[in-house]
Amino acid sequence: MDAVTGWWDDYFWGSMVVLQVFIFSLLLMVLFGLIGAAAKLSDNRVAQKISAAYTVIFRGTPEILVILLLYFGSAIFLTSVAQVFNPEIKFVDVPPMWAGTFAIALIVGSYATETFRGAFLGVKPGSIEAARALGMSNLQTFVFIRIPEMWRLALPAFGNHMLSLIKDTALISIIGLNETFFVAKQAIGTTGEPFTMYIVVGAIYLGFSTIITLTVMGLEKFGLRTTEGAR
Amino acid sequence: MTNSASETLIEMQNVDKFFGTFQALKNINLEVKRGEKIVVCGPSGSGKSTMIRCINRLEKHDQGHIIIAGKELTDDVKDIDAVRREVGMVFQSFNLFPHMTIVKNLMLAQRLVRKINKVEARETAMHFLERVKIAEQAEKYPVQLSGGQQQRVAIARALCMKPEIILFDEPTSALDPEMINEVLEVMTDLAKEGMTMICVTHEMGFARSVADRVIFMDAGEIVEEAEPEEFFKNPRNERTKKFLSQILTH
Repeated sequence: MDAVTGWWDDYFWGSMVVLQVFIFSLLLMVLFGLIGAAAKLSDNRVAQKISAAYTVIFRGTPEILVILLLYFGSAIFLTSVAQVFNPEIKFVDVPPMWAGTFAIALIVGSYATETFRGAFLGVKPGSIEAARALGMSNLQTFVFIRIPEMWRLALPAFGNHMLSLIKDTALISIIGLNETFFVAKQAIGTTGEPFTMYIVVGAIYLGFSTIITLTVMGLEKFGLRTTEGAR
Repeated sequence: MTNSASETLIEMQNVDKFFGTFQALKNINLEVKRGEKIVVCGPSGSGKSTMIRCINRLEKHDQGHIIIAGKELTDDVKDIDAVRREVGMVFQSFNLFPHMTIVKNLMLAQRLVRKINKVEARETAMHFLERVKIAEQAEKYPVQLSGGQQQRVAIARALCMKPEIILFDEPTSALDPEMINEVLEVMTDLAKEGMTMICVTHEMGFARSVADRVIFMDAGEIVEEAEPEEFFKNPRNERTKKFLSQILTH
């Protein structure tokens, strides 16, 4: 393990990058999932089709490919846009951080679409009817009845999506994101100790995923408190 | 208040309702005055529930007019919400909000719909929980209560909104036999206090002692409408006779 000594700060900053990507992609993933689910549940045929295409494409292609295509695709696109204004520009570089965050959020968001849709449909119609019968508006019913019941139903699958996200951050190293995996590759280059360096990466990811798992367990316990106790 | 006794609260005129091609309600005409208690019975699939669900627009009628406390039910959302504030509903399966304690179940709509502050909403909630004799369960969750208790909570929740009318959709059908009476007692008390009620129920004892009128429905139509004594002693329609003989033999 001596070989690692000089690399701790790189691993630390790499971990911070992982954390940052995770947080932003989590927010985007929830957003994409909610939009996707809303579109699938809407009466609008076009929205349904678009959402269906979204889930088919992003669940049906390798994640690493999506990251690469999105990174180079957006770079090519932005370059051509920029060249319209200034023909001198040869290449616009998209920050790998944002291209990667966006890519993994889109991928996991396609899975979350199905989770949210299922949770929406899983809420008992009786609660919704009762709220409507009490004179609550559609929005009030959604916020105070459907969402609180939905998140409990979505939580177990949502925990898996969060684990997918945190692990997918490692894939972003392929487009040059300076996260732990990237650090490990550099460290191996100078120390020639791949096993040690990758073990450290493994420990870091295991640390993150354990925190996520424990958080989800805590939330589940909190959510289920309403169904516990003497009958 | 003298003429309020004869004020019409619910008026249904020539109401039709379709589910696809199936006609669930056929030319329903019904008038309910303030303070009247109506019991609706009939075989399953006869349109009883659909009829009362049209009154607070959980179902949308296709033809005819429904006027509640002077407001006609149309597609206008404001009118629908206004009507729903005046019409309470108690469901067969209680439909309490599972993620909230009992007292919060009672407070939510008061706060959101009636815009009542927290303290006052809680007071009202506790008042009605006491009336249905269940105040000690206020901080529990619905799943921790028995069916009969849950249904009494559901009645209290409707009462918190101070409605003009309460609709009961088979309130005792999902209950174990030993719990039916506790719910019927609460309903009888309400009736005595002059609440306007429409109850879909097969509790014929309740109908006899409480109802001003009993309505018998079959195949989406109101087949017979009479005072309970008349209804049970001299049913005129063949279908009513058959139905009564079936449910009263045991």
